[in-house]
Amino acid sequence: MTEKHLSSQFDSDLNRVSSQLMEMGGLVETQIQRAVSALANYSVALINDVLDTEEKVDALEVEIDHALTTVIARRQPAARDLRLLLAISKITTNLERTGDEAYKIAKRVKSIVESGESRKMPIGDLRLASDLAAGLIHRVLDAFARLDIVDAVAILKEDDLIDQEFKGFTRKLITYMMEDPRTISSSLDLLFIAKAVERIGDHAKNIAEFIIYIVKGTDIRHSSLTRIESVIQ
Amino acid sequence: MSPLISRLAILLSFMAVGAALAALSGQSAVGLAAGAVLWLALDSWRALRFVNWLARIRDNPATPPPRFFGIRKEASERVQRLLRKQALEAAEHESRLHNMQSALQASPNGVIILDEQEHIEWCNRMACEHFGLDARRDLNQRVTHLLRAPTLVKSLAARDFDEAVTLESPLSTAARPLRLEARLFPYGQGRLLMLSRDITVIEQAEAMRRDFVANVSHEIRTPLTVLTGFIETLQNLPLDEDARANTLKRMAQQAARMKTLVDDLLTLSRIEGSASPDEREWTPVRALLQRCEADARALSANLSANLSGQDAPRHEFVFEGVAVAGEIAGSAKELQSALFNIINNAIRYTPPGGRIEVRWTPEPDGGARFSVRDSGPGIAPEHIPRLTERFYRVDSDRSRASGGTGLGLSIVKHVLQRHDAALRIESAPGQGACFTATFPASRLRAAPATAAD
Repeated sequence: MTEKHLSSQFDSDLNRVSSQLMEMGGLVETQIQRAVSALANYSVALINDVLDTEEKVDALEVEIDHALTTVIARRQPAARDLRLLLAISKITTNLERTGDEAYKIAKRVKSIVESGESRKMPIGDLRLASDLAAGLIHRVLDAFARLDIVDAVAILKEDDLIDQEFKGFTRKLITYMMEDPRTISSSLDLLFIAKAVERIGDHAKNIAEFIIYIVKGTDIRHSSLTRIESVIQ
Repeated sequence: MSPLISRLAILLSFMAVGAALAALSGQSAVGLAAGAVLWLALDSWRALRFVNWLARIRDNPATPPPRFFGIRKEASERVQRLLRKQALEAAEHESRLHNMQSALQASPNGVIILDEQEHIEWCNRMACEHFGLDARRDLNQRVTHLLRAPTLVKSLAARDFDEAVTLESPLSTAARPLRLEARLFPYGQGRLLMLSRDITVIEQAEAMRRDFVANVSHEIRTPLTVLTGFIETLQNLPLDEDARANTLKRMAQQAARMKTLVDDLLTLSRIEGSASPDEREWTPVRALLQRCEADARALSANLSANLSGQDAPRHEFVFEGVAVAGEIAGSAKELQSALFNIINNAIRYTPPGGRIEVRWTPEPDGGARFSVRDSGPGIAPEHIPRLTERFYRVDSDRSRASGGTGLGLSIVKHVLQRHDAALRIESAPGQGACFTATFPASRLRAAPATAAD
């Protein structure tokens, strides 16, 4: 976002919206990290933190949408500026949903802690996947700030890893539930957490697709990796 | 002769020659004018050359001047002198800037310089390591786009720089946590200097100190509570001889547990507070290891018997390199306790029937490795760096049930440090654990110096 416009006011408008988006990204990132470490340590203090941040994220989403409407109405942007604004609008939605997933994880962890079954559950693999997902969100926000499409493509590929972890973890949970029906309620909580983690990975992937859209102007949603790679070149 | 007069003289001589040549045809006035015009043309051509040279020397200061005369020669010399001076000054400024930047690079803190719009103008290597920045690519990037920690964003938005901001580094992982403290200092007109430092160790130390008192009190209170209960029983209930003996036996167990704990605490504070052990006291390694082996087998048998009767499965031991001939320098008592503590740990955390391998391996450089590998449940990576902390327990129910005080590995670490040795722990869940103590060559010698036999 270094190119200058004739109207420096337009530049500062664009910058302000981007900054708001990054601020929202920062909040969501912290939410995920806290949710992940709440899962690792079964810490109730962290859970409440995640639940509190939710409102701030929602408020920022509304604020960014409002700012976007104003900029589009006033400046009638074209080409890359328009793509940037459209992408920000979509990324905001994705980030808000990512925050929701973190919220869901926190609530489920709370329910597991309250049930007292926490010690026995197999969360090792789940933590691996949730660290991966938190890392992806961090990297995709960095890639947006730097408009780095090479890293965006790398993120698209890595989302598959989380999907595989999810499948493996589901199978593992099934064996736990078959062995001991008393673990079913905790296992279901863990299943929902795993699903939320998997969804966070998907949101990171969507955001990566919008970064490519901003830079290259090509909509690569629902395309194969070979096509994406030909677009990048 | 001043350049002005020389110019005038040349002009006059041109005019005079023109007049003289034209005088032959009787038109000396025309010759006078022609001489002046010729001089003007020649002079303009030279002026043009001078301007061209000026344009070239601006791009490349080394361009030699064409042959100039008179006033232009002097001008060209002055221009060259000026340029040389400028180049010198620029080089000096550059080297001063370079020195400043090197000084900032050498800083143990992360340094980020922000311009008025909070864009990263420059950052040093440490800042890159702290925040995962790229010193070249991320210049001119708004700082909050890459460092998105809400605490930092809030402090920047409110322009409230009185207090330091603590944040988690983006590079932080469960196995290698990285906590940072960032301070912002406004300077100039709206510009900011951001310093960051690694406070992971400080935070850990603080947490450890906080936990220590709480842990000691808790560990001592548990057996005390039990003892108090038994004392009340003895005071209030008329017990027969058997019940009395049983109660006293269990009281003795609790008292013994408290004594072990206090002994461990005293050992720790003694080895921490005292000077390094005498390097001239030599002990045969074989004696140390053989005692460890005997103690280990006894402990394992004892544990199995307590757990499930005489015919319970025992640990399977492998001792390799125990019959080594060398000697080791340092306190025999401390070394014995450290080495046995490592084995003790392996025995307590490996279920009966498991395999424990103890090895003494000489290193090519004259040092030696003492390693204990078990087939126990293994340790998750995030626990490994903290295992040697006092009272750190991976699973508190389990380790207290197995009779540990939570101080064993702290003692091991301190004793090994005092003997210039290092402790390395390798493990993964489900794959057992391997504890390795590496002793340097300076602490070992091959054969006894005073051979008695």
